[in-house]
Amino acid sequence: MTVSLPEGDLQERLERYLEGFREHAELQESGIEEDVVRVVVEPELVPRVLTVARDVLGIMHLSFITVVDRRGHFDLTYELLDLRGGRVRVKTTLEGEEPVIESVTGIYPTANWHEREAYDMFGIAFRGHPDLRRVYTWQDHFDHHPLLKSFEISTKRTFEGLR
Amino acid sequence: MLKEEERRRAETVVPGGRESGRLARPDIRDEFGLETMDMNMGPQHPSMHGLLRLVLELDGETVVRCDPVMGYLHRCQEKIAENRLYPAVIPLTDRLDYLANIHNEHGYCMAVEDLMDVEVPPRAEAIRVLMSELMRLASHIPSIGFLLLELGAFSPILYAFRERERIQDIFEAITGARMMFHYIRIGGVKADLPEGMEERIWNYIESLEASFKRDFIDLIEGNEIFVARTRGVGKLTQQKALEIGLTGPPLRCTGVDFDVRRDYPYSWYPNVEFDVVTDEAGDVEASYRVRVKECYQSMRIIKQVLEKMPEGEVMADLGRRLRPPEGEGFGRVEGPRGEFAVHVVSDGTDVPYRVHYRDPSFVNMQMLQEIVPGHYLPDIMPIMGLIDPVSGGWDK
Amino acid sequence: MGAFVNALDQEPWRFIISFLVIVVLTLNTAAILTLAERKVAGYIQLRYGPNRTGFRGILQPAADVIKLFVKENVAPGKADRWVFLAAPIAMFVPAAVIWMVVPFAPKAVVTNLNIGLLFVVSTTSIGALGVIMAGYGSHSNFSLLGALRGAAQMISYEVPLILSLLGTIILTGSLSLSDVVDKQAGGFWHWYIWSQLPMFAVFYIASIAEVKRVPFDLPEGESEIVGGYQIEYSGMTWAMIQASEFASMGLMSAITVTLFLGGWQPPFEFLDLGNFDWIWFGLKAALVMFTLQWVRWSVPRFRMDQLMDLGWKVLVPLSLVWLLVTAAGTLIVG
Repeated sequence: MTVSLPEGDLQERLERYLEGFREHAELQESGIEEDVVRVVVEPELVPRVLTVARDVLGIMHLSFITVVDRRGHFDLTYELLDLRGGRVRVKTTLEGEEPVIESVTGIYPTANWHEREAYDMFGIAFRGHPDLRRVYTWQDHFDHHPLLKSFEISTKRTFEGLR
Repeated sequence: MLKEEERRRAETVVPGGRESGRLARPDIRDEFGLETMDMNMGPQHPSMHGLLRLVLELDGETVVRCDPVMGYLHRCQEKIAENRLYPAVIPLTDRLDYLANIHNEHGYCMAVEDLMDVEVPPRAEAIRVLMSELMRLASHIPSIGFLLLELGAFSPILYAFRERERIQDIFEAITGARMMFHYIRIGGVKADLPEGMEERIWNYIESLEASFKRDFIDLIEGNEIFVARTRGVGKLTQQKALEIGLTGPPLRCTGVDFDVRRDYPYSWYPNVEFDVVTDEAGDVEASYRVRVKECYQSMRIIKQVLEKMPEGEVMADLGRRLRPPEGEGFGRVEGPRGEFAVHVVSDGTDVPYRVHYRDPSFVNMQMLQEIVPGHYLPDIMPIMGLIDPVSGGWDK
Repeated sequence: MGAFVNALDQEPWRFIISFLVIVVLTLNTAAILTLAERKVAGYIQLRYGPNRTGFRGILQPAADVIKLFVKENVAPGKADRWVFLAAPIAMFVPAAVIWMVVPFAPKAVVTNLNIGLLFVVSTTSIGALGVIMAGYGSHSNFSLLGALRGAAQMISYEVPLILSLLGTIILTGSLSLSDVVDKQAGGFWHWYIWSQLPMFAVFYIASIAEVKRVPFDLPEGESEIVGGYQIEYSGMTWAMIQASEFASMGLMSAITVTLFLGGWQPPFEFLDLGNFDWIWFGLKAALVMFTLQWVRWSVPRFRMDQLMDLGWKVLVPLSLVWLLVTAAGTLIVG
């Protein structure tokens, strides 16, 4: 079945997306800067916002999920592309040392491995993820999450569980 | 964090979750007591496109479950990048997708230039596009060769590597290195093209256009065995492809015409004319055709860049120490395998705070879990040829 | 001296000596074919093959043999040792033994069995057994997969192999290979390939499948199962398997030449070399082997179900139809 990609003027579309988000979800911040729709929400509302993006606005591609460890809280960024010039960045902040957030695999199945990578590297647990395993590091005895700022690069730590 | 605690925590958020690293194994027993067979393909395997372990569950020759286990080439590039100066990260990016190094460098430099709001001189942008398209040729041609190598034809890959060696000779003349170029710098490129280089590239492209059909199309396109092995294998629908998050030739072979060069234009691409190549079939044969036509489009772009190359300097004036302001920058390029995006976060010092690479090989590999079950075991290799991943890409 | 040679010409000495010559011939064929394969592969791929050892690489087989002799024969821990070690022998024996009925020159055949063709097809079947033994004895999933594929393939392709011989049997009236060659006397218009062209095609393709070469090398399947039934072999055991594969290739070429291309018959009467007609035989067999290698380095390989389809749905009906045509033709023409 063929998929139809959005058409029309870029600025109009971006305005439409912004309006759509504002209408359907409670945003902390929102705006358009340099052709990017920027939306900041609470972590619990991220699935709602992404559902709006996919169903109401017709944005079909989740490009990546980035996590930044800010030493006390985590900044998550979800970047969505409407494949014709439009970009939407959904940002959220997760507090605490052992963060948990709802998985968006049901909305954008491509998030599966992105979330696995976030779990592997940062320890963020995604509630409802169908298969939350480590993707890069050893799956059996490696208990650390390497990209945390508290993880120092040292051979001793890395090979602790072996032999 | 202790192992027990972590397991408990992971299990609470994933109810009935799997044991880490192992496939759940429902015994498929029918009244004859038949079971499926668990088998490993890799990590030591002559044609796995790199170090990949596929844990397969087979019912005779049919794959019931396919689970890629990655991480054999994981070099923690994102962590290392947090300890190196901004320009020193560029050689690391070279080693991500090692068949298409220029695109990785380009993506990273675009992200940092976005962070610092740097204006890159037009000649540098044109040279970047020229190198990117040459690299795309040097990547697509071996992809065709690898597809055929895995099908069992041992000769086309040698023709492909002959062409790649010629392109690498051109790269060596321009950048000094055959493979890890470290050529695209933040703010421009390292050095201008040497004398006579444009002529040499032009002659090479003319000769490639003449011999491409003979080497890579004539022996392959109508070959009965090739068609029998690749037509209908790895069938993708547009909806499924978008759901999995495919980009690049795997997405375009289903008919969705998304190309970062045209839809999210960057660098000098607004000044060149090219077509975005799609095919309707969505199988391995379609991906082969898409790659072949993209090679022709790349040659077209290279000729246009050589004709219209602007004069000027090749590096913006940034000073010796790069200390970007706090903030974040995003860069996105169209690599030969798909959309390659970089996210750089700065905290005002001269080392990045966080670098994240969105590598197309990593995301496209999800296709293996979704599409392979139901196919025969020998079909896995053509499907890998459709995705065409590179292990430096999926493992970072 | 003459009396000594005459004594050697009596049975059983004649048989024993010629059989030993045959075994040496087989092993040498295998060795030289390894070099020929690599040189042909090299030139098709726009490179030289091995050219360092000896003049233009001619000593490469010797180097390979020495290397394989000194390699350790590793076997998997849980492998069934006797089956594991017997498998290469089981694969090599048919390739060596069938040469006994192949006529090299007029009156130069180890044993002129009057059921020569029956002997050929029945002994070829033993090769399939060797493959299964190799795969089973290796105690490895990959090997088992390769062995099952190999067994299925070899057994399936024996049917078209045998059916395509029946045309020549009708035309010859006898199962003896020497008679087949004798009937093709008189220049190359009398060779069976002209009246049996479809059978020649079927036999050629089925013989590639029997030898398990590309495009039918799925049991070895280098790209997915990395060697199939022969993964766990190394050193001299592996060399035996390779030797049996190349010897089979040479053997199938020889049988093709004998049945369809006139054996040791020269293409024109005046080129007859009498007892040196084995030169013609050798040239023709070398030509067929070259085409086998040419095909190997040019085309990809079949998938299992496509391979089976080709065997059962294309080759078998074709050979049956042509068998009827041959039979009818023989009745009509006499």
